[in-house]
Amino acid sequence: MAIKKVAVLGAGVMGSGIAAHVSNAGIPVTLLDIVPEGADDRNTVAAGAVARMLKTEPAAFMHRRNASLVSVGNLEDDLDKLADADWIIEAVVERLDIKRDLYKKVDAVRKSGAVVSSNTSTIPMARLTDGMAESFRRDFLITHFFNPPRYMRLLELVTGPETDAKAAQTIRDFCDRMLGKGVVDCKDTPGFIGNRIGIYWLQVAVAEAMALGVSVEEADAVVGRPMGIPRTGVFGLLDLVGIDLMPHILKSLDETLSPKDAFREYAGTPPLIEKMIAEGYTGRKGKGGFYRLKRDGGKRIKEALDLKSGEYREAQKVTPASVEASKEGGLRALVTHDDNTGRYAWRVLAKTLQYAASLVPEIADDIVAVDDAMKLGYNWKHGPFELIDRLGAAWFADRLKADGMDVPALIQVAGDGSFYRVADGRIEFLTVEGKYRALERPPGVLMLSDIKLGSEPVAKNGSASLWDIGDGAVCLEFHSKMNALDPDVMAMIKETVDIVPGRYKALVIHNEASNFSVGANIGLALYAANMAAWGEIENMVQLGQEAYRALKHAPFPVVGAPSGMALGGGCEVLLHCDAVEAHAETYMGLVEVGVGLIPGWGGCKEMLARADADPKRRGGPMPPVIKAFETISMATVAKSAFEAKDHLYLRPDDGVVMNRDRVLAAAKERALSLAEDYTPPEVGELSLPGPTAEAAMKMAVDGFRKLGKATPHDEVVAGALAGVLSGGDTDFTESLSEDAILELERSAFMSLIRHPGTIARMEHMLETGKPLRN
Amino acid sequence: MLGYKAPVEDLRFVLTKLLADQDLNSLPGYSEFSPDLVEAILDEAGKLCATVLFPLNRSGDEEGCRYENGVVRTPKGFKQAYDEFAQGGWTGLTADPEFGGQDAPNTVANAVQEMICSSNLSFGMYPGLTMGAYHAIHAHGTEEQKRNFLPKLVDGSWSGTMCLTEPHCGTDLGLIRTRAVKNGDGSYNITGTKIFISAGDHDLTDNIVHLVLARMTDAPEGIKGISMFLVPKFLPNDAGEAGPRNGVMCSGIEHKMGIKASATCVLNFDEATGYLVGQPNKGMRAMFTMMNAARLAVGIQGLGIAESAYQGASSFARERLQGRALKGPKYPDQAADPILVHPDVRHMLLTMRAYTEGARALVAWVSAKLDVSKRHPDQQTASDADDFVSLLTPVVKAMLTDLGTDVANLGVQVLGGHGYIRENGMEQYVRDARICQIYEGTNGVQALDLIGRKLPAHMGRYLKQFFHPVSRYIEEHADDEALAPFIQPLSKAFGRLQRATGVVAQRGLKDPNQAAAVASDYLRLFGLVAFAYLWARMAEISLPHIEGENKRFYRAKVDTAQFFMDRLLPQSGALFSSIMAGGDSTMDFDDEAF
Repeated sequence: MAIKKVAVLGAGVMGSGIAAHVSNAGIPVTLLDIVPEGADDRNTVAAGAVARMLKTEPAAFMHRRNASLVSVGNLEDDLDKLADADWIIEAVVERLDIKRDLYKKVDAVRKSGAVVSSNTSTIPMARLTDGMAESFRRDFLITHFFNPPRYMRLLELVTGPETDAKAAQTIRDFCDRMLGKGVVDCKDTPGFIGNRIGIYWLQVAVAEAMALGVSVEEADAVVGRPMGIPRTGVFGLLDLVGIDLMPHILKSLDETLSPKDAFREYAGTPPLIEKMIAEGYTGRKGKGGFYRLKRDGGKRIKEALDLKSGEYREAQKVTPASVEASKEGGLRALVTHDDNTGRYAWRVLAKTLQYAASLVPEIADDIVAVDDAMKLGYNWKHGPFELIDRLGAAWFADRLKADGMDVPALIQVAGDGSFYRVADGRIEFLTVEGKYRALERPPGVLMLSDIKLGSEPVAKNGSASLWDIGDGAVCLEFHSKMNALDPDVMAMIKETVDIVPGRYKALVIHNEASNFSVGANIGLALYAANMAAWGEIENMVQLGQEAYRALKHAPFPVVGAPSGMALGGGCEVLLHCDAVEAHAETYMGLVEVGVGLIPGWGGCKEMLARADADPKRRGGPMPPVIKAFETISMATVAKSAFEAKDHLYLRPDDGVVMNRDRVLAAAKERALSLAEDYTPPEVGELSLPGPTAEAAMKMAVDGFRKLGKATPHDEVVAGALAGVLSGGDTDFTESLSEDAILELERSAFMSLIRHPGTIARMEHMLETGKPLRN
Repeated sequence: MLGYKAPVEDLRFVLTKLLADQDLNSLPGYSEFSPDLVEAILDEAGKLCATVLFPLNRSGDEEGCRYENGVVRTPKGFKQAYDEFAQGGWTGLTADPEFGGQDAPNTVANAVQEMICSSNLSFGMYPGLTMGAYHAIHAHGTEEQKRNFLPKLVDGSWSGTMCLTEPHCGTDLGLIRTRAVKNGDGSYNITGTKIFISAGDHDLTDNIVHLVLARMTDAPEGIKGISMFLVPKFLPNDAGEAGPRNGVMCSGIEHKMGIKASATCVLNFDEATGYLVGQPNKGMRAMFTMMNAARLAVGIQGLGIAESAYQGASSFARERLQGRALKGPKYPDQAADPILVHPDVRHMLLTMRAYTEGARALVAWVSAKLDVSKRHPDQQTASDADDFVSLLTPVVKAMLTDLGTDVANLGVQVLGGHGYIRENGMEQYVRDARICQIYEGTNGVQALDLIGRKLPAHMGRYLKQFFHPVSRYIEEHADDEALAPFIQPLSKAFGRLQRATGVVAQRGLKDPNQAAAVASDYLRLFGLVAFAYLWARMAEISLPHIEGENKRFYRAKVDTAQFFMDRLLPQSGALFSSIMAGGDSTMDFDDEAF
């Protein structure tokens, strides 16, 4: 069965977010909620949720038009709309009676075989379906999304003993391919995997900080980066998700967990937190949390809560000695450091990892599910078992024993070995039976990390590598710091263009970092500009132009496969590809003006060509120039691959892949199909309007400046951009070669980077992460 | 046997021509310092230095300071000279008028400072240290502290010191052990031992105001737990004059290689009464605010010695008759030619001259920027100037003090055997100059400061203030044929500096040892390029005047510039090669084999 229509019941934060994300997959979805007492508009709850989602950032919709795929209604009048739904997702309030009542109504109208799932995070499946018809139980499962549904990749899937395997497979497949989720099969136990371990971890981290007298700043410094956990750490995370959420989840876990569960030791809510919630200090959404920003005149002062006194004080920048030690000595150095923060790190990690290890196979069949859940649902860089491997399983067991703590059976199974190993170039994991089993990737998933384990690069330098990904395709990987584009990357591109012909058929450009590339190394450029190394800077501009041009006109197809940010030069490299297979969560943009520059590696040229070739463009010489000018001068960033098409960063026929684990395989397939009878694009020519267009664009910017919408340096940068896009000293009857436009880009870039206003912008961006409005 | 005459003509050239674009006169508070007044100040200072301070230089060196019965006696004549110096208002030249100072620009005061250092380096230590203490209290003291102490420091009746070093710690001040215990009345009891305290005790003034770094009870470990205290030798009485003796005693003085007339004391603080200056535990920060000025001052000491050595050597070489010029007698009416006809002697003299005048130009440039940074009404201009001063300070300190020693050594060489004889005065310059490379942060520390702090700060922001004007200057004069002999070598050396700057930064990111191991070479390369830029500019300014009035001066400028470009700047090539070779051979060497 294919899922062609979906319904979501409950338009709260989760329900509406799920509905929006289903629409992101291009699937029509019905969103229903209750009729509030006395409401004029009986659909007001669902309609209000959609309206709200169109305003909030980060956006739930990947494109505004997706909102039209969501039809809203209410649970009283519109249940008949469920009749044609292939999948009905229940996301109403966590009350068994309400859910059961709703299921009965749903069962009455749903078509035969339509799958029903609950987004519950707390109620066991057995209780949900108790008393329901067998046919309902066969079609029922739990699909637990994480908040926000578009962005959090974890989906916990729970089936019951009676759940139809085919129904489960349909949903699993849909969530994987269409919603881009990492689907983790869980057992029907309280909190499933993510929250069972995650909430325990948070509780331990809070309780131990209070017990040991560790400050919130120290705790977050220790439990943040050194453990591979986002910088928010523990207290920052609680502020983010809402401190009032905790007692709620704790209560439900308390009701459902076995009395002997280790969780009970940490199940209570500390009095300080109870007091905070009672007084409205619920985190970022409330009056403040463990941190708050206090306004003092014009300044904003970050304050932190003193866990002893419960009073706010100015937040301290802390660099605990244990954290310093971990930079050299890793995780072991952190947890063995002989000070309070080291002891804290050990207690948090020891308890959490011990608990996680004790839960397999109770909550999941294997350790991979646990590690995946924590990585995808809590953004941990390493799962619990990967962390134990970092400490060494035997070492960890010895330390637990020394502290008088139990060593879970699974850790004893690991013995002197590890939970993961690489054998014959493949990753294997330890099963609960003590055997190693190869990690299987689903069909259509190709991971560069797997390839890298099993082979040597075709070519490599400090910033980029070329990998053989099979079937005649190679993959160019950036791996410089932040994937910044530097001379080494450009050299590798040129080397690739030499290597591929004759030996390989096609090239994919892809990497598995969180961001494809945020562009040129601005720090390097600024340093060079500060020391007036103009010659070197110009060489770098030219090197990039030559590398990208070589890529575009290479005698083999090139397919870009980005995920995350592709900005500046990272966007430009994609503009030079024959095709792109983009992860839906790709954020492309030519953002150079933010640092006072213009795209100098062919970005202006390619945007002009695209705007010129756009079938929807208006006639005459001006519209393509204006379109490119608007896009570049506003530093437009597309907030999804779909939006990138609006801005012409992607072509209409470029692919969008919802699951990032499937991006490389899709790109490889596309590249190989292009390789048949491939002819590279010819070196193009453009007719551009010249000085009159330049004057018109400058006049427009001048107007903006007078309105206070553009700054003096905006005007300088936009003026230089206008000079390039209008073609310089030309007119529409002449045609300009690509190289001529590249030369214009180069000279405009050089004039800008020598400008103090541009240097100030670059410095400000690097120091504060924000653009300077000078 | 040596003499000293203040180089007023060259100072005038530097201040009025080279710095013509700086327009110091227009900075707030400096409007009175017209060229005429500046000239008068330089003339007066020059006279004082030549006639009062210089004559005491040799005798002061011979006699040295003496430690007698717990007090220090300065050499004969010092007290009288000091009184004359103070009465002339020289102790408060740059000080705030509110406390009796003259508020002169640093540019002018540093020119005077050069003369003092040329004529009597040891003497200059006493008022120099006082100025350091003055600035610290002025910047960080309470209103009461300022009222009670600054007027006395400014009029020279009291003097000051900076007490940092302890027996077990010099460069690493985080190890300081001197303790400060709070008293009921808000004062502190200071207890500990400080060593190497210049002007720590002497008989020139009625009272001495020590600024002492110490650690309060319960202060954090290391550098973040250091506070600054004001500890007077005599506690002021109700009349504001020196009153009861405080618990600070000099227990001896060091016997040094040079600057023998400067008292270098061991000070014992035994529950001495002290007053906190600035914030608790922020003593290092307070100290750092005057680090730039103090380091510049030491760089000027190097310049001062170099000038004296050059004057002594050039007059000797003119008078000393020995041998004949290689191509036949040049002065046939004399028994022999003066030794300055010999190529090697000329090479030495021109080396001394090119370095000395280059150093003077650099000091003036940095001093002018210091004035701009402190006074300019436009915040950006002031902050740019501050970046410049921060960047160039380690270069001035290390390069100029290295050159001070180098030039003094060449001076000895020019004098031959006579240079080695104490009575002739030249060897004293070598001994006096040597300390400048060591104190106020050794020159190795300066190089680390340049490469480790100044280069990477704000992604190279400081660099902009030096590299941009030089780059622009080269571009603007690229087609000027008359200047080609200066611009071309400058451009070549500048290119080397740019490449070295990039390479050092990149290597340093990966391995700080790689940058640190070449830091001193890098600093010297930087300094040479700064000199080259200034020499090119001085040549440019002088060329139009080589046939006019005072043509000998201008021709000498152009010719010295040419000598610098031909014979000294090529070192940049060797330094560049050395920098590019990196630090492996330095760092891989077996520790045990040393």
